[in-house]
Amino acid sequence: MLFNSYSFIIFFIIMLVMHNLPFSWKVKKIHLLIASYIFYAAWNPPFILLLWLSTVVDFFVGKALYHEENKSKRKLLLVVSLIGNLGMLCFFKYGSFLLENFVALVNTFGIDYHPAKPNIILPAGISFYTFTTLCYTIDMYKRESKPVKTLLDFSLFVTFFPHLVAGPIVRPGQLVPQFETPRTATRNQLVQGLFLLSLGLFMKVVVADTLLAGTSDSVFNFPNALAALDAWAGVLAFSGQIFFDFAGYSTCAIGIAMCLGFSLPENFRFPYAAIGFSDFWRRWHITLSTWLRDYLYIPLGGNRGSKARVYMNLMITMLLGGLWHGASWTFVIWGGLHGLYLCVEKWIVGMRKPALKIVELQPAIETPEKETVTASASFAPTFLKSRQVRLFMAALLTFFLVNITWVFFRCPDFDSAWRMLASMFGFEKNGAPLLATIDIIKVLVVTVLLLATHWFMRNTSVLAVAQKTKWWLVGIIWSSMLILLVLSQKSSDSFIYFQF
Amino acid sequence: MKVNQFAKAGLLTVAVVVTFIFCWETYWRTKGFVATFNDDKVLWANARKAVYQPIDKATVFIGSSRIKFDLDIAEWEKLTGEKAVQLALVGTSPRQLLQDLANDEKFKGKLVVDVTEPLFFSQIPVFHKSANEAVDFYKKQTPSEKFSSSINFALESRFVFLEEGRFSLNTLLNDLEVPSRPGVFVVPPFPKGFEWTKFNRQTFMSAGFLADTQLINRQTNIWKKLIMGNPAPPVSGKPLQAILDEVAAAVKKIQSRGGKVIFVRTPSSGPMAEGEQKTFPRAKYWDALLAASNARGIHYADNEKTASFICPEWSHLSPNDAILYTQYLIEEMRQLGWFS
Repeated sequence: MLFNSYSFIIFFIIMLVMHNLPFSWKVKKIHLLIASYIFYAAWNPPFILLLWLSTVVDFFVGKALYHEENKSKRKLLLVVSLIGNLGMLCFFKYGSFLLENFVALVNTFGIDYHPAKPNIILPAGISFYTFTTLCYTIDMYKRESKPVKTLLDFSLFVTFFPHLVAGPIVRPGQLVPQFETPRTATRNQLVQGLFLLSLGLFMKVVVADTLLAGTSDSVFNFPNALAALDAWAGVLAFSGQIFFDFAGYSTCAIGIAMCLGFSLPENFRFPYAAIGFSDFWRRWHITLSTWLRDYLYIPLGGNRGSKARVYMNLMITMLLGGLWHGASWTFVIWGGLHGLYLCVEKWIVGMRKPALKIVELQPAIETPEKETVTASASFAPTFLKSRQVRLFMAALLTFFLVNITWVFFRCPDFDSAWRMLASMFGFEKNGAPLLATIDIIKVLVVTVLLLATHWFMRNTSVLAVAQKTKWWLVGIIWSSMLILLVLSQKSSDSFIYFQF
Repeated sequence: MKVNQFAKAGLLTVAVVVTFIFCWETYWRTKGFVATFNDDKVLWANARKAVYQPIDKATVFIGSSRIKFDLDIAEWEKLTGEKAVQLALVGTSPRQLLQDLANDEKFKGKLVVDVTEPLFFSQIPVFHKSANEAVDFYKKQTPSEKFSSSINFALESRFVFLEEGRFSLNTLLNDLEVPSRPGVFVVPPFPKGFEWTKFNRQTFMSAGFLADTQLINRQTNIWKKLIMGNPAPPVSGKPLQAILDEVAAAVKKIQSRGGKVIFVRTPSSGPMAEGEQKTFPRAKYWDALLAASNARGIHYADNEKTASFICPEWSHLSPNDAILYTQYLIEEMRQLGWFS
């Protein structure tokens, strides 16, 4: 069930009513759990079996991991959980990709092997709920938190519909305690939740789908070289589209949870105002980057060891992070580019730290909790005197480099990606003009507003700003968003991150 | 803003949005618009479900926009007592739709294939896109999407402003007609009264459009640019033979299951008809299609009653002429034993 659908509106109203009726807390939790299964089954009912399997196995394995004293048995249980979760993910998400690469490999050795293409359907949200359950069993293995007391609470933790399909990726400690005591939203929480839901839908339906998706699709589906203006407009359109699409989903999820009295972790913090790439990953898909930090980067060794080792850890983390997004080498290159940027940034900071008094520029996967404002003077041209201007220029440079990575993220293959890059940088002399002027205007207006908003709000939050603003102004902005939503109506489609 | 003032902002929002919707809806109603349906893949998928009726209970229609305007569904159902399942898609070649029905073992009914040569024989992907999307959507429609579409239909039947092709944000922005760079092809916005669609996918021109010469001229200019201005030579030789073979194989599949297939060439007139006859000579395309597929065909030019129809904007019949055309078409089909 999509948040931007009529069926969800009906579903959500029923949920709100049920959640506020005078039932016991246990009954309300059962309502929430059943609703979450209905929410999931509304896509493809049979896949609910996978969700049950994952939930039941990890609940009992997690409990056993926590209580078991025998080290060998504990390791065996962990392996069972890892194989169960990652095996399922590998089969459904990477099965075709692995087979394709295996066939290509054996063919290069002269073995004539051409198996039938498997027709595997990717269950919605499998990457997200696998990471949710995986972190639970790993935490149990490390005994970092206590096992969830009941299967009901654990099932709800895994399945809670606002985060189930596309995050934010929640940790047991963030959500399970909220199920232990009765919760309903206060009037203020309810209104703020509805405000966030409206904002998220506005981001998704109006900006991502209506204003940007058409341009992005036209450019990236064009089979020939493009004029530089069109290529850049397409890349900027995708850059905005993916942010508004995914951040829109997260904002909806947080708002919906808030309407029910729950709190979900922040997932985006104005990422296009990032100064450098460690800052970017503190702001983009925060729950994934912190997950990768805690369950991959640090176990690999993190910052410990030689510089070469640290760089290698960073690269491995980002390459796998890229692969998490999709079963294609283009996603691996996307992750690799981000890894490379992080390594270069780390190297520059290491080289120039004493002279430049850099405030803080550690990779997010090392110190994401720090709220320190980051600065990367190393990027700033010397003729710019004002610190704010220098920082802004550094943010623009980061945004520029992020856009390069989006080319690999969006293009279906490397030929298209190289052609797009060549078009963007003027290496294609006969690039075709493609986009209507109105489409270019839409992209430019949205991009300028996006960058300005991110820059001015980089150290605050939407709700904090709304709290400081006059109520009538909030009302006008809110109603403008809803009016544009009504006008955009059916231009909407599925969320991009569902495919991951 | 104090805590309880967020609620005030919420109330103001509700008031502004409700007022806007009321004014927006009223404005378009006073301009003569009525509630119609978005002619999209959702409505198509809803119609697609109805193809499995017994052979003596329904006829399925596929094609491009002409059969959607020219077949009057109410008249068809009144005169034949059978249901008309309209699956044609505007601006689209029906070949993918034919393949879809041919490959569907459960379909054993009667099928009318409307032929608009520039679209039917096109190899340009954009003319097949809507058909592929519609078929794909129908096959993959989730329970949630089915439920949403039923709510959507109920709303579209009541509110004018929910017509995406006329009143959505992107359409309104495109209506500004900002000039584009040389070499950029932009589909010009159609007049808002040209193409209205009912729940049964019957498409018709509004009375306002038919009464306004300026709007009609605007539409004929669009045809000049879109269809008649296409410099690409029509398909011929081996690619044409491949298309004919593919169509023939699909027809054979349906016939082998007991189904019936007939091709129909609906009227066009004026420079559009002249251009079509010149670019797609009948012997090379229409006659070859019937010969290859071994199916019957009804060409509007072969019947003096239908040959004399004048399409207001050269390509589609007015609602009144659609009723007459439907009567003549049924007459000819009866003679060919379609209903027996």
